[in-house]
Amino acid sequence: MVKSRKRAQLSEFWRRYKKNKTAVIGLVILIIIVGTALFADLIVPYARCIEQVGADRLQGPSAAHFFGTDELGRDLFARVVHGSRYSLLIGLVTSLMALVIGAVLGASAGYFGGMVDNIISRIIDVFMCVPPILLSLAVVAALGTNLRNLIIAITVSCVPGNVRLIRSVVLTAAERDYVEAAKSYGTSNPRIIFRYVLPNAMGPIIVNTTMSISDMMLSAAGLSFIGMGIQPPSPEWGALLSNAQTYLFTAPHMLLFPGLCILFSSLAFNLVGDGLTDALDPKLKD
Amino acid sequence: MENEVLRIEDLSILYKTDLETVYAVNGISFSLKEGETMGLVGETGAGKTTTALGILGLLPERTARVTGGKILFEGEDICGLGDRELQRIRGQKISMIFQDPMTALNPVLTVGEQIGEALYLHNQENLSLKEIDAKVEETLELVGIPRERKSEYPYQFSGGMRQRVVIAIALVCNPKLLIADEPTTALDVTIQAQILSMICNLQRRYGTSVIMITHDLGVVAETCDKVGIMYAGEIVEYGTLADIFTGEHHHPYTDGLFGSIPSLTENSRRLHPIEGLMPDPTDLPAGCKFAPRCTKCMEICKNTQPGVYEEKGHQIRCHLMKQKDENRKRDALARRGKSGSGENVQAPEVKR
Amino acid sequence: MLPKRPGQECPGNASGAFCGGSYHQVLERIYFMSKYIVKRLLYMIPVLLGVAFLVFAILSLTPGDPGSIILGITAKPEDIAALNAEFGYDQPFFVRFFNYLGDIVFHFNLGTSYSTRQPVMNDILARFPNTLTLAVLSMCVSSIIGISLGILSAVKQYSVLDHVCVVVALVFASMPGFWLGLMLLILFSLKLGWLPSFGAASLKHFILPTLTVSLTSAAGLLRMTRASMLETVRQEYIRTAKAKGASNRRVIWKHALKNALIPVVTSLGGGFGASLGGAIIAETVFAMPGMGTLMTTAIRQKDVPMVMGATLFLAVLFSLVILVVDILYAFLDPRIKAKYQNGGKGRG
Repeated sequence: MVKSRKRAQLSEFWRRYKKNKTAVIGLVILIIIVGTALFADLIVPYARCIEQVGADRLQGPSAAHFFGTDELGRDLFARVVHGSRYSLLIGLVTSLMALVIGAVLGASAGYFGGMVDNIISRIIDVFMCVPPILLSLAVVAALGTNLRNLIIAITVSCVPGNVRLIRSVVLTAAERDYVEAAKSYGTSNPRIIFRYVLPNAMGPIIVNTTMSISDMMLSAAGLSFIGMGIQPPSPEWGALLSNAQTYLFTAPHMLLFPGLCILFSSLAFNLVGDGLTDALDPKLKD
Repeated sequence: MENEVLRIEDLSILYKTDLETVYAVNGISFSLKEGETMGLVGETGAGKTTTALGILGLLPERTARVTGGKILFEGEDICGLGDRELQRIRGQKISMIFQDPMTALNPVLTVGEQIGEALYLHNQENLSLKEIDAKVEETLELVGIPRERKSEYPYQFSGGMRQRVVIAIALVCNPKLLIADEPTTALDVTIQAQILSMICNLQRRYGTSVIMITHDLGVVAETCDKVGIMYAGEIVEYGTLADIFTGEHHHPYTDGLFGSIPSLTENSRRLHPIEGLMPDPTDLPAGCKFAPRCTKCMEICKNTQPGVYEEKGHQIRCHLMKQKDENRKRDALARRGKSGSGENVQAPEVKR
Repeated sequence: MLPKRPGQECPGNASGAFCGGSYHQVLERIYFMSKYIVKRLLYMIPVLLGVAFLVFAILSLTPGDPGSIILGITAKPEDIAALNAEFGYDQPFFVRFFNYLGDIVFHFNLGTSYSTRQPVMNDILARFPNTLTLAVLSMCVSSIIGISLGILSAVKQYSVLDHVCVVVALVFASMPGFWLGLMLLILFSLKLGWLPSFGAASLKHFILPTLTVSLTSAAGLLRMTRASMLETVRQEYIRTAKAKGASNRRVIWKHALKNALIPVVTSLGGGFGASLGGAIIAETVFAMPGMGTLMTTAIRQKDVPMVMGATLFLAVLFSLVILVVDILYAFLDPRIKAKYQNGGKGRG
């Protein structure tokens, strides 16, 4: 009974989602990008990323090298394909980590209120006073530059905003009568939070997380670009662009393709996020 | 009729979106004289508010469509009027009290500004800002709010007080027609009575005609001269207050509505609620809209729309009436046959 | 329940609300606003202390001590120890923190750079104006473009203009700012030769960086303003205004706009943070001597005091901007004022 209702809700949700053409386009791009990241080795072997062909340096796009080659004669197409793994991984991992931390802190603050809320909110106030990129830079400066630290740095910068959002959403949801009802028959606090409050506050949280994946990918690329993220020779897109900056005059194609990839992946998450907003909140569309 | 303020003829309104078409109002007709109050009664979703918004020309632009009928206000069809003409009528000649006072006021403007705006927009007597201000204060006192509170913001008022502000906005220009859309639904019972008697007093004072939209028959009994019972976008029964409350014949839906009211005086064991729900307005039944829930449903009701049967202005849209009508005609004929003369028979005025 | 209002005590106070408030009401408003501002300023003190602690704590995680960072691991241990003592590094964490705070408060000194052995404040003050100029310019440009196009787009919903705005905004919002900067650089500096490609010598040098930072944030603002405006015009009080006979134009400018801008103004504070972040990255693209390039160099050199000083400096600046935005917001939304009028318990 419950299952079939859930399924009905899902199919209704999907029916509304696919009405939105741009959202479907976003989903298609997203699937392509995820597929590329998952099957990168099948598309083009990793060896081609590191294979240096002296004769083919800084070549423009051709049948042999779809995206051209870099200053060491490495195939850019292979590097871009394998680079997708970094961007997606960073985007997903940081958003999910920030979501989990944000959900635990934000939900406790919003649900318990009083002292707990006060302490969490004051700490978040402090974090919010540091612009996200500075927070990331400080963390990178302290921990050093590598993939793990980049993920930590970006997560840290994203958590405060999440805590605030989830706190306010939970505050609204916790005032509902069904929460009062659940309390009245003695449901435990964590159970109320995870079973009654959070599911009913899910809409804005899902949308925000989807959109934040795009933001996280952009910050990661930005940090790598200024040399504070993933270091060359890893084929991360921001790092590729950082490298391309040296050859602006001679090889603009090195700039074009990684940039377009960042643009499209970020766009895909934004489109899906927009689609989810409309599909989850049909009253906004009249 | 020279003092007829509003006449609605066969009005139909639907909402069309990409996904579905909602038939909200399906051919309703009624009229309202100066100083009269008409109650529009029905369940949520019966099309009452849509009718009201249709009269004001405030239906959602992209989705709603008036598919037929006329709205004659002071003899002029205001249905096809342009924005500018409608803006001149709105607020000045026709105004509306909205259902939920908590959301009907702009949170960032003071109540004084919001009341004064209607005057400012329809400034026919060329009042100066000072005079407008004085009129605002006067109106505030009229609805029972101290004049000093005009520079406060809506959040500083309680629900009942906000509804008074909404009423002040609606009445500040002395409109000919006031549409009150469930003005007391969102309020406490004690406040409800105050607000209702206030509307009635103000109405008597200015001779305003009122359309009182409600689902509360108690409110109707207290305030209305005429009543229209709406169901699924149709007026199924229409008549004077006496017709509806004490008349001989009723639409089964009206009977059902009365059966749903708990009575304090009669010692009945149980309520008689109407079973079932309103039909899906995107997929209305072919015959009588009430047929699926009607306890007196006949075969004909399922596939043929009933017409309107009228008796001294008391209109009922039901097949049962046709039978009663025919019975009566047969009786009348029989009586005529017996007596041999038809002159002194009090044949009811029968009209289709 | 309601506090005694100055306006009530003045019998001559008959005009007013409709023309914008009497003398007394204005005074009253100013009184409550200044109370609010003072409260906010006082609250800034613990927050800034917290920020200082946060930055200090994060950067104290850096492995290594000043002595070995400056002199290298091969140096003699006693030299390293001497240098550590010079930097006060031989003290426990909290003592160091309070010394650092004391230096900032009493000497306006953010510490000594490991690489130049000079106060980091010198470098910061030399570089900071460029970053601030860039961030403020971008903020202004993006607000003007983003908010005005957002309103226009919402007002003309479903028009060609609206569709174009939505699509372009979406693309720009999904674009990495630095990449846009590089593209602009190729087009306007290398191909057309209209604008300089690096440095910060004149205002002309700021055009491309400003565009780089502001176009992406303008896109976000446009989307937000549009959404907020569309939500506002669906509110019931908009229907009330229409029922009064207000024209569409009046409904939008008088009734919808102020309400719709409330969340947008709230976001401007965070927007300045984004502009600051954008500026830091854009400086690398346009080789501009600013806080961003200062920090990246410092991070590479493991110059902890420099990174700490620069971060703290910008964080304080950012908090002040947030404060200003919050006060602006209180002017816009009467409900905030109420919190301070009714002893912190505003209704609604």
